[in-house]
Amino acid sequence: MPTVELNGKPYEVDENGFLAQPLIWNDNVAADLATTEGITAMTDEHWVLVRYIRDYYLKFGIAPMVRKLCKETGNTLTHVYELFPSGPANGACKVAGLPKPTGCV
Amino acid sequence: MTRRARMPDMARRDREPLFRVDPAALPPLSPEPQAPPRPVSPARVASGAEGYDLDGTRVLALPNPTSPEEEDALVRAFLSGLEKLFSRENNWTFLQPLLLSMEHCAHCQTCSEACHVFESSGRAEIYRPTYRSEVFRRLYFEYVKGGGLISAWQHGTVELNWPLVARLAELAYRCNLCRRCAQTCPIGVDNGLIAHEIRKLFSQELGIAPKELHAAGSMLQLKSGSSTGMIPAAVKDNVQFIDEEMTEKTGLAAETPWDVEGADILLIHNAGEVLAWPENPGAFGVILNAAGVSWTMSSDIAGYDSVNYGLWYDDAQLARVALLHAEIARKLNVKKIVIGECGHAHKSLLVVADRLLTGDLRVPRESALTVLRDIVVSGRLRLDPGRNDFPVTLHDPCNMVRLMGVVEPQREILRRVCPQFREMHPHGVDNYCCGGGSGFAIMSGHGFEDWRSDVAGRKKLQQILDAFSDCLSTSIPKYVCAPCSNCKGQIRDLLAHHGAWKQHRILYGGLAELIVNAMADVRPGFIEWEWR
Repeated sequence: MPTVELNGKPYEVDENGFLAQPLIWNDNVAADLATTEGITAMTDEHWVLVRYIRDYYLKFGIAPMVRKLCKETGNTLTHVYELFPSGPANGACKVAGLPKPTGCV
Repeated sequence: MTRRARMPDMARRDREPLFRVDPAALPPLSPEPQAPPRPVSPARVASGAEGYDLDGTRVLALPNPTSPEEEDALVRAFLSGLEKLFSRENNWTFLQPLLLSMEHCAHCQTCSEACHVFESSGRAEIYRPTYRSEVFRRLYFEYVKGGGLISAWQHGTVELNWPLVARLAELAYRCNLCRRCAQTCPIGVDNGLIAHEIRKLFSQELGIAPKELHAAGSMLQLKSGSSTGMIPAAVKDNVQFIDEEMTEKTGLAAETPWDVEGADILLIHNAGEVLAWPENPGAFGVILNAAGVSWTMSSDIAGYDSVNYGLWYDDAQLARVALLHAEIARKLNVKKIVIGECGHAHKSLLVVADRLLTGDLRVPRESALTVLRDIVVSGRLRLDPGRNDFPVTLHDPCNMVRLMGVVEPQREILRRVCPQFREMHPHGVDNYCCGGGSGFAIMSGHGFEDWRSDVAGRKKLQQILDAFSDCLSTSIPKYVCAPCSNCKGQIRDLLAHHGAWKQHRILYGGLAELIVNAMADVRPGFIEWEWR
């Protein structure tokens, strides 16, 4: 696993930049990971999505359905893309410290 | 490096790639897309060159032998796997077509002209369908058939060392296994099969396979029930959410039946649909319920995920998953299994599994495309094609169309529900792969996602742009119908990579959604014109 330095701190990530050890995640880690997604400052809107994804992952072991994410956080998908330009799976899930989603998604 | 790599280059011991894609030197697209800026993956910057490079990208985590002895051990393992590929007891399934493909190539290069990867790379020699096959063929004549001077003169030789073995493993994953080359070959040589057999050798003998297909793919499916990691409780929870959404959206009560014994149809979707494109399984439910079909889904392990990634790299994994699917159908005593909009699941359960299933495991199996066609043509749904009055083109998934010959059912549907349906060229059995075939759509890292959008998917992107050349304005929404999860994922990435949604309002989706969007008894606006 490669190591990257974000805001001066080393992180072990997979080849797509997803956190290698999802359990070390906290708010500071999220803010550091966000820099890799072209997000300069995490806003409240970012946090609502990230926390929903994180809670769902801790409960079910996978990322939530994108549609569920939008409905339960009151976002349109277009707005999710505005907040996380790589999209919910590759952007928001990465910042939430999840491993990369698997299967045909 | 030049695009004129030669066969001995495979064995080179320097760390330079044999070829590197230069986006500026690729065949031009028309109209030239303006690719949107993308965040740079830090891992890509961080990962230095390791091992022997083929083309600057990689999908495998290959071993890094540090001594000649370690290298020899790996080469010996490769040779042992090679022997097994050519023995009846170890490879009874594919031995005959493999032997024919080894022995009878006339080197006419008709296949090269049919290959989208070769053409779209600017005719890079390493991607020529016969390059990979010829390296492998020389090893076959020397190490399986015994070699010797006459053989060397007749068939040529190539130096066998670890760098060649390592590059060959990667090269087996630069072919989409679309088999357009096999279709055009006047002799029937199947370069797609050769690439497949090389993948199989590496997986079954050396334990080497892309993690998306194996560890996080078929192994995860066997353990949790789905390659997405969805356990049975999670899929039921998600489908309940879809049912609620569908009821709300369509105004018709939607309810998915689970584990119904004796149902006419056991419907198995690609589970990725549930997570990423829930409107597709949702649309199936709306159609089947409205048509009064007796159907069920299964909540057994693998019963709710039709994927069978073993098809692409490992026969043993393929057999394990295919047996699970058939056993569930037998247990539920359904009349037949219907596979949803997933191409490789069609090939694995409807075609290849024919050689594996015996006795009462030989449950009848059918494509969702013919089931949907029969419902639409029967007149059981009230349809208003005026609701689909936007340009629609159709992508032909290789496994359903070229391989199985399912060409007309999806077109019969589109001609009835989409007044502005237009074909791509070429289409039907002569189609081009989306560029995501054989699992590429779900593989990424080390720049591979760029490779499959810039090279493997280039031909498909041009076909899509051409199909809509009369209506590229952003004021007209357009729909690429891709009735296959893997193709859909690739087309999503392809359109996003080249900015086709932003610049031209080109969206993509499945077939069932277009039917529901045209149902007169459903609230209008089932298809949402939002990027996903």
